[in-house]
Amino acid sequence: MTSALARIWQDRVFYALVLPFAALTILFGIWPILLSVEMSFTASATALRATPTYVGVANYVSVLADPLFIASLTRTLVYTGLAVVANLAFALSAAALLDSTLLRRANLFVRLALFLPVVTPDVAGYVVWRWLFDRSFGALNAALDALGLPGFGGLSDPGSVLWAILVAELWHHAGFYMVIFLANLAIRDRALEEAAAIDGASAARRWVHVILPQLRPALTVNLVYATIQFLKTFTVVVVMTKGGPNDRTNFVSYYAYQLFDQGRYGEATTLATILFAVVIALSLLALRLSDREPGR
Amino acid sequence: MGRWKAIGGAVAGIWLACATAGAQTLTVWHDLGDNGIAWFERMSAEFAKERPGASVRSLSFPTDQWFGRVIGAINTDTAPDLIFNNYERVIRIQTQTSRMMDMKPVLEAVTDRGFLGEDDLRVATFKDRMIIIPMQRVQMALGMRKSWLDKVGETFPETWDDVKRVAAKFRDGDPDGNGRADTVAMALQAAKPRDLIHMLDLFVFGSGLRHTLVDPSGKVVIDQPAHAQVLEEFLKTYSSYRFVAPDTVNHSFSEMYQVIEGGRAGMFRVGDWNVRKWDQPAVLNGDFVSGPWPKFDPARPNAVVIGGMRGIGIPENSPNKQLAIEFARFMLGKAAQQASLETVGAAVRKDLDVSKLSERSQYFARAEARLAAYDFPESVHPWYPEVEAAYHRKLLAGIASPPADWKPFIAETAREMRDMVARLAK
Repeated sequence: MTSALARIWQDRVFYALVLPFAALTILFGIWPILLSVEMSFTASATALRATPTYVGVANYVSVLADPLFIASLTRTLVYTGLAVVANLAFALSAAALLDSTLLRRANLFVRLALFLPVVTPDVAGYVVWRWLFDRSFGALNAALDALGLPGFGGLSDPGSVLWAILVAELWHHAGFYMVIFLANLAIRDRALEEAAAIDGASAARRWVHVILPQLRPALTVNLVYATIQFLKTFTVVVVMTKGGPNDRTNFVSYYAYQLFDQGRYGEATTLATILFAVVIALSLLALRLSDREPGR
Repeated sequence: MGRWKAIGGAVAGIWLACATAGAQTLTVWHDLGDNGIAWFERMSAEFAKERPGASVRSLSFPTDQWFGRVIGAINTDTAPDLIFNNYERVIRIQTQTSRMMDMKPVLEAVTDRGFLGEDDLRVATFKDRMIIIPMQRVQMALGMRKSWLDKVGETFPETWDDVKRVAAKFRDGDPDGNGRADTVAMALQAAKPRDLIHMLDLFVFGSGLRHTLVDPSGKVVIDQPAHAQVLEEFLKTYSSYRFVAPDTVNHSFSEMYQVIEGGRAGMFRVGDWNVRKWDQPAVLNGDFVSGPWPKFDPARPNAVVIGGMRGIGIPENSPNKQLAIEFARFMLGKAAQQASLETVGAAVRKDLDVSKLSERSQYFARAEARLAAYDFPESVHPWYPEVEAAYHRKLLAGIASPPADWKPFIAETAREMRDMVARLAK
């Protein structure tokens, strides 16, 4: 005990510097999460009172028996899978292109064009995308019409809406993942590629066997971050589809928001808690998968 | 020392002024926007004449936020003194809080209340508790762009067949004369299950039917011939008739209003509260006429729809309850009601001066057309909201992926609703 205190005293500067941020994290990060979890065990009508009525796991039983929630969770997982793969594949391709000498003077322009959406306010971006997809006056269908091609259902067709919002989200997020990949590409060991080239390895083989393994840190960060991001998809739904058509974009975050909106706080925080658990579990899985040593 | 005394005195003076003002100030939360704020400001000035020192401060929230804030505030004992909204929204507040005061004794103390009919009071009552005092009848008519009607050589449609003929001309005949095919025959909404009820109820009650989904005994009526006819035409309006914007399935109130106020739609719902804004030059410049919803059957009289009743409610934990009760009674007086008519466009008294209103506002204020009210089944059947939500979800699914034939869809929906009612009514 004494030695532990002595060690703390010895590192007192470190602890003094960390303390304010630890306190802020506990106050504004961990404490609200714990309160939210607590609320998920209360009756909605009393959830905000000083002495709420606790209902045990009733909200969890009710939510897990709700076919709308099960459909929403399934939809969220499918969309996350699609969005993570699409965003990371696009970002990696763009980073590879920018890392090469193919674009020459256009490199800076393309780099800017791909990164600017990341710093654009998401609501503004999605409003423009909604207009682009609009079937009455949107530019996309006007262009297809001018080319004599069939129209795109966009946001009003249950068959195309997922793809439409995926494109809009890719536009907004992929630039961020691309920058992470570019940073990793910049610090790779180029001598390994030269050695492989001297040994007669083709460009494709050099990419797969020499460059990609060195991108593991960027892949790990991007995979975990993208998984978290797309599991929580919300803004794009609020702005572009409001969960429709026919609930096709009613992801868990938006469904929870609808319940909040109806004052069903107990069930809404139950959804949020379940989503939180899914996010943690999948993030750890993604971290574990990308951290695994090759060949093991 | 003198300087410190002066600062101390000033602080004490400000504190005292604020404390005094706070004790006399009532806070009302509503969702009526600028018109509502202007109304409460006028009432505050009038109320101060009767009750010197008292004032009323109103805050307007977007409807979605209003729910959350009111429920949160009432449940955490930080409630406003009064809340003002549509009866069905106050029912939701009561369901989530159980803390809305019974306004029956408050109303009974008002002697001049003969203008409130039985229907008005029935609407205001939920589970034997009067949760609001009715203040504004919500009237909704069919609106048509006047210049568009002239352009296509038509007059205000009387029957549903007239509507379909005019709508086709609005859609295809370039009624705004800009040389582009950019007009929409009808502005509706269907983004959320709750959005659909507003539109479907207009078709149902406006065409003279008495129930949207169930009758007072709880029997599902949607597949009865007269109901099925209206429902089928309503669903076709969204699908095969192509009368609405293709993205209507993602349109909620704000998008629907964008279509109307952007001048892209020829037919739309016009509520008494819309007229003032739409009369403005920057919006529709008064280029619209209002009338009853169309007839589906010559034998059944059509009507302008009373879609609800807005009223004032007091939370049990209102900070200034006694003063709030006084103000609620004051709101039924002639001065307050006149202000309501002139600022918001609606009232419940029938002895008001309507001469200063525009022709379009007078249409509602004089109640010239036949009026038909919603049936408000949620106040009779506790299970109704759940069944209604499932019903609208089913209709939304149909609108998103329309079947080739709506008749089997309606029959199937009726069966599902009957099963649900049987299960929930047990």
